[in-house]
Amino acid sequence: MSYYLGLVQLIGIHTLLGLSAYVLMLTGQLSLGQAGFFAIGAYSAGILTVIFELPIFPALLVAAVIAAFFAFVVGFPALRVKGLMLVVATIAFGESVRLFFFNLSWRVPRGGIEVGPDSTNGFREIRYFVANGWSAWEITIFVWVFVILIMAVLWWMDRSRAGAVLRAVGEDELAAQSVGINLTAVKVAAMTAGGFIAGIGGGLYAHTATYVDHLTFTVLLATFAISYPILGGLTSVFGTLIAVIFIQGILVEGLRFLGDWRNIVFGLLIIVAMNVKPFGLFDARTTRFLKRAVGLGGRGKSDA
Amino acid sequence: MSDFWFEFVEITQTFGDGLLFGTTYALIGIGFTLIFGAMEKLNMTYAAASLAGAYVGLAAFTFINAPALVVFVISAVASGLIGGIVYVTCFKYIPINSHLAALMASIGGLFFIDEIIVHTTDGSPLTFPALFDDVILELGPFAVRGDLLFVLLVSIVSTIGLIYVLYRTRLGLATRAVSQQSIAAQLCGISVHQTNAITFVLAGLLGGIAGAMTAAAVGVLSPLITVPLTVKGLIVTVIGGLGSIPGAIVAGLLVGGFENLFLYFRGVNERDMYVLLLLFIFLVFRPHGIFGSEVNRD
Repeated sequence: MSYYLGLVQLIGIHTLLGLSAYVLMLTGQLSLGQAGFFAIGAYSAGILTVIFELPIFPALLVAAVIAAFFAFVVGFPALRVKGLMLVVATIAFGESVRLFFFNLSWRVPRGGIEVGPDSTNGFREIRYFVANGWSAWEITIFVWVFVILIMAVLWWMDRSRAGAVLRAVGEDELAAQSVGINLTAVKVAAMTAGGFIAGIGGGLYAHTATYVDHLTFTVLLATFAISYPILGGLTSVFGTLIAVIFIQGILVEGLRFLGDWRNIVFGLLIIVAMNVKPFGLFDARTTRFLKRAVGLGGRGKSDA
Repeated sequence: MSDFWFEFVEITQTFGDGLLFGTTYALIGIGFTLIFGAMEKLNMTYAAASLAGAYVGLAAFTFINAPALVVFVISAVASGLIGGIVYVTCFKYIPINSHLAALMASIGGLFFIDEIIVHTTDGSPLTFPALFDDVILELGPFAVRGDLLFVLLVSIVSTIGLIYVLYRTRLGLATRAVSQQSIAAQLCGISVHQTNAITFVLAGLLGGIAGAMTAAAVGVLSPLITVPLTVKGLIVTVIGGLGSIPGAIVAGLLVGGFENLFLYFRGVNERDMYVLLLLFIFLVFRPHGIFGSEVNRD
């Protein structure tokens, strides 16, 4: 049972990771640096609960603010370029964060043993949940409270003026600019929000895994982050959630019997999926079809 | 005075070695730039394919004991073939206006090739035959490593070869036509798919040489260098200006030189961090790169 609860926690955390990329993708920008913000969140939250002995909730918030701050700072130079150049810039950012934690060693004695990030050996002592006697159920609910809260906020934002502004920039920058939208402000805001969400996700990840090292936050993780919204489509936040369940729950778990060969199949699956459905597995057409199939808001051809 | 002189020689030497090694980055950068110029898409598989080519060359060396020159040729041809396959699988059938899908597909290709390398070699580094590593040229207080000089020579020859193909043959004319105006080129009867495929193969040939040279200069071939090489190739492409071949050459040499300086001053663990910082400095002050045009930057 705890194995499946672990999977449910992982799905929640990866949903946050995917949503952090989703916010930025609404403005038409693609970031391969989300693993970097995730790493900043993970290490910061870990350091706050382990070295500064803060409770989990303020630690997560502070970690998210730190990640958001870095997203804000990186956003300015990185968003001067767009499209594929931004992809390169954000890959570079993600890698430099990973290398920073690869070099970071900060060991302090707490309760008789040395704790803290230990460069290549990773950060091993993030035992807040264990030390405070949280059960697997409680941890799962804790994770999903954040997931549902953030999904609700994003869902609401999508329907508000802010969402319209983000999508306007994503659809046509020139048109958006000509109705008085400040492109840089919108993009940096989206980047900052993405950093905040990734930071919370990272903090939760560090505490559920109890151990992080720099190899967790590679380009592969960043690829996962953008592949959720790409697969799920940008019509709503639920697309990302479905894509996470599909990839983490069905593909990754379902292919476990392949052992080491799983990663090869994963690479192949991405190629095949992109060839068959270049605009995402749940693009506008498929979503409409699915909605009609289950009889939800089925907008028939007559009123289209 | 003598201390200062010693330090000066040491630093110049370090930078010079880096410049020589940087020629391999320049080749990788040219490959990225060529493909970007042709399709306005990033081929994330490129550096991995280059190293895969070098692995095939290494296999030829290990199993049939091929001479060093043949190893290079085999690496280049293998990487060229992989380039062609990558074009067909990750770019050909994806709609031209869907940049994201092509990017994702080629990232999939990167992981695919990476995993195949890890599986066939059990993830352990393999020694690659070094060339002229016992030759050292003395130039006053400086020493030039024979293997790095060889790397420089091969890079110059292959760059000249590429420029010859691009600017002196009908094939190159077609490639440049497609990269400038693919619809107009199509109207003139040039097959865009065929030209793009040839561009991928050309870039692959170049990458195979670069991969084999990187391996020969470092002495080992390991799956751990695929992602760093990809990132460095991308950095070179951005610093040089997307789509600019001279830019890629200059940026490749710069990155190589500075990388060695960072290695000298800060050690191997922190080296790449500063290289990435270099990219951000360029993004802030010169986002379109050294030779890129302002218009063409996305």
